[in-house]
Amino acid sequence: MTTAGMRRGGTVLTVLGLAGLIVLYWMCFFWVSTEVNQGVVQRIFYVHVPAAWTSFLAIGFAAVASAMYLWLRDDRLDRAALCAIEGGLVFATLVLTTGPLWGKIAWGTYWTWEPRLTLTLLLWFIFFGYIMVRNSTEDPEKGKRFAAVVAIIGAMDIPFIHLSVVWFRSLHPEPVVAKPDGPTLPGDMLATLLFGVLVFSLLFFGFFLFRYAVEALRAEADLRARSAT
Amino acid sequence: MNHYLVQVWAILRKDLLLEIRSLERIGAMGAFAVLAGVLFNFSIDTTAVRPDDVATGLIWMTLIFGGLLGVGRTFQLEAQDGALQGILTSPAPKDAIFLGKTIANFVLLYVVSILVLGVFGLFFGLDLGQNLGWVVFVLGIGSLGFVAVGTLFAAVAAGTHLKETLLPVLVFPLMVPMVIYGVGAMMPLVNGRPITEVEGNVRMLGAFTLAAVAAGAVLFRYVVED
Repeated sequence: MTTAGMRRGGTVLTVLGLAGLIVLYWMCFFWVSTEVNQGVVQRIFYVHVPAAWTSFLAIGFAAVASAMYLWLRDDRLDRAALCAIEGGLVFATLVLTTGPLWGKIAWGTYWTWEPRLTLTLLLWFIFFGYIMVRNSTEDPEKGKRFAAVVAIIGAMDIPFIHLSVVWFRSLHPEPVVAKPDGPTLPGDMLATLLFGVLVFSLLFFGFFLFRYAVEALRAEADLRARSAT
Repeated sequence: MNHYLVQVWAILRKDLLLEIRSLERIGAMGAFAVLAGVLFNFSIDTTAVRPDDVATGLIWMTLIFGGLLGVGRTFQLEAQDGALQGILTSPAPKDAIFLGKTIANFVLLYVVSILVLGVFGLFFGLDLGQNLGWVVFVLGIGSLGFVAVGTLFAAVAAGTHLKETLLPVLVFPLMVPMVIYGVGAMMPLVNGRPITEVEGNVRMLGAFTLAAVAAGAVLFRYVVED
């Protein structure tokens, strides 16, 4: 795909995603029925869970792109990993703000070491480490390799972190264990959730393509500047 | 295979010999560990919490902080006069270099961890008699997992302008499973529980270490290539 094509694709996906977001908010506030036990606060779930899904999609995507970059050394793969990581950082931040907001009302505290929340916090730091490594390397080629290693190791560690924080949690049970999800989700809630996942994925890929186009233009400008001198 | 082991041994021997002659890193790590124990002692109100309950966690935290101190300098040994380039251009495969460096770091950290165990046992009045063998074993697995991740990222950090400052940002998020399973296995052991109770945790710690060593050996070549 050409850079212009990317930008067009990014625009289409982002516009679709933003329109979907309006519909999602409408569904979330007016359409879906209120959850009996938790009340209105549960509605944040339709933003929180899709954002979490998107940030984990991002690290998976970035790790695969990074592994392929180390193998094939195609700069486009590295760019894809970088853009996925930056998108992931945005969505992980969203998870980490909506989670505590909900937790304050449902659990009575902003922060608790709930396994999925803990995992997302660590994921956020893996994204952060990726960007820091890249920015603190003078030689861009080196930065790409270092960052790829960070993404791969980070993604590999996620199952271990997940298992361990779940186990840790079982050691320290919370007095109020609120589980918003479950297989017995009523139809309208499930529909809203799935729609949310779709909207956030669209937004993610929209942002991704935009960001990718910017990186491609930057690489092109670098190349021109170098050939001019 | 035999040839491979000779190459690992050459790196290991060189690093250990340098350390034995200078005692730089082990001195810094050991002093850090003992002083951390002193500071921890004053940061806890021992009338409010039982020292046995917190000591295990503090031992692991001291290992991680002290470990970073030593592991972060792994590639500073060869920073001068292009010594690292010399090693990398030698015919030894990159994974052999990684394994040699990791085992050398492991020996250092393991010595320090035994020291930490003794000192913290003394400071916090731990009764280590019952499960000493298992406690030392668990510390060994944990140390190996830590140095495997630490050595890989020490190579990354050495190539950035932030150097060792970057290391905690990269290593700490990945160390969560090690701390959870390490403390989870060691705390009951220190309190005199049988090993069968914590077998699952020891296995998970072992799996983490195995994955860390394997991933480091595979990915190291991409970090040091030029």
